[in-house]
Amino acid sequence: MKHPDSHLSDEQLLLDVEGELSAHDERLVHAHLSACWNCRARRQEFEGAIADFVRAHKREFAPDLPSAAGPRALLKARLEELAAGPPDGSMHFSFARGLKAAVAILVVLVLGIAVNRMAINHEIRSGQNVGIYSMPDARLTPGATVLLSRSVVCAEPGDGNRPVPGSLQRRVFQEYGIPRADPQAYEVDYLVTPALGGADDIHNLWPHSHSAIWNAQVKDALEDRLREMVCDGDLDLAEAQREIASNWISAYKKYFHTEEPLPEHRRAPAEPRR
Amino acid sequence: MPPRFPGSVVVPLLPISSAARLAGSRAQLHEEVAAVFDTFREPLLRYLWTFGLELPDGEEVLQDVFLSLYRHLDRGKSVDNVRGWLFRVAHNLALRRRYRTRRDAETQLDAAGEEWTVDPALNPEESLASREDHKRVRAVVEALPEQDRRCLFLRAEGLRYREIGEILDMSLGAVSLSLARSLARIARSAER
Repeated sequence: MKHPDSHLSDEQLLLDVEGELSAHDERLVHAHLSACWNCRARRQEFEGAIADFVRAHKREFAPDLPSAAGPRALLKARLEELAAGPPDGSMHFSFARGLKAAVAILVVLVLGIAVNRMAINHEIRSGQNVGIYSMPDARLTPGATVLLSRSVVCAEPGDGNRPVPGSLQRRVFQEYGIPRADPQAYEVDYLVTPALGGADDIHNLWPHSHSAIWNAQVKDALEDRLREMVCDGDLDLAEAQREIASNWISAYKKYFHTEEPLPEHRRAPAEPRR
Repeated sequence: MPPRFPGSVVVPLLPISSAARLAGSRAQLHEEVAAVFDTFREPLLRYLWTFGLELPDGEEVLQDVFLSLYRHLDRGKSVDNVRGWLFRVAHNLALRRRYRTRRDAETQLDAAGEEWTVDPALNPEESLASREDHKRVRAVVEALPEQDRRCLFLRAEGLRYREIGEILDMSLGAVSLSLARSLARIARSAER
C-alpha cells in the first residue's frame, strides 16, 4: 500500500476507518478522500483487511462455549468464601490494630458520605414522605452504556431522549421504594443519555424529581453541552460518560463554571419536559 | 422499548466511586461482579485463548480475574473503565500463566489449523476459497511481532486505541502505527 507523500498515510486512513480521528482531522481527511480515488481505494483495502482478520479470528476460536452457569456458580461460591474473611486478607494479622483504626475511620467516612449523599439525593419533605431525587442511587443506577465509537454516537440525532415505557417506569419506582409515586412528579431519566451512548437499561434509569433544583431540565443542558464537546472532538466520549455517571451535578458545575443551575436552564418544576 | 442501537453490547458503568461501593452491601457487590462476569466471559476467554490457553485453563484464569476485581472493589477502590481493567488483568495473568506452563500461542494456532469445519452455506469452491483466505491471514498474523498481534486481538474484542495502549503500555500513536502496519500486511497478502 505504498503511496506518494501527497496522499493520506496508512495511519490516517485507518484512524478514519476506526472513528479515532479528531473532528478537525476527520474533516480534512474526508475532504481529501472526496477528491482522491487512490486513497479511497486504499481505505477500502483497510476495511477488507479488517473483515479478513475478523473472519479468520472467528474461525480460530469457534468452540461451543459451555454455559456460563457453572463457572458463574463457582465464582459466586468463591466470592462468598472471600466475603467470609476480612476485607483484605493480607492485612489481618500484622496490621490487626491498624485495621481496627482504619475500620473506625471508615465508619466515620461512610457515615459522612451517607449523610452527605442523603442531603443531595433523597431529601424527604417533612410529613409527605416523597423522595426528591436530584441524583440517582449509585447502587441501583450505576449507569450503563453501549459500546459505540464517537462517530456512531455523533451520527445519531441528539434531539431528546425517547420516552421510557410506563411498565419500565413502574419498575424504576419500585426499585427506588416509591411504588405509588405520582408519575407527574418525576421524570424517569437516563443517567447517561442515549445521545452520549447511554443504554436503554434499568441500571441507567432513575426517578428524577421535577421539583428538585437540579432537575431534568438542568441535566438536559449539561447533556447538550457534553455532546457538543464530544462531537467537536474536545472531549473523549468515555470521559463524558464517566463524568455524567459519577456525579452529573459536579460535571454541570465544572462545564458551566457555576455553583447553581443557570437561570436559562431552569424551568418551572411543573412544566412538562420535552 | 427497542434498543436505540440494536445488537450493541451494554456495558455497566460500575462501580462509579468508592463511596457508592462502600455504602453497598457485599451481597450486592457479588451480584454486580457476577453480572459483569456474564457480560465479559466470552470476549475474555477468546482473548485468553490467543495466549494458547485451552478453555479449562482460560476459565481458571477468568476466575482469578474476577476475584481480583472483587478484592479491588471490596477495598473501596473504584474502576473507571471496567472493560479495560478486566482485559489488562487478564492479559497480565495470561502472560504469567504462559510463562509458567511454557506453552505458547503458536502451538495453539498450529493445533487449531488442523481442524476445519465446513460451512454448509458455502459451495465447494467457496469453501476452498474461504479456507485459503483463512490460511493466508493466519500466516500473516503468525509472522507478526507479539505486540502487533496483541493489538489486533484486543481491537478485535472491541477495545478502543486508548484502552489497548493502557493494557500494553503503549502510546496512542504506537497503537495506531502497529494496527496500520499489521492490516497493511494482511491487505498486501490478498493482492498476491
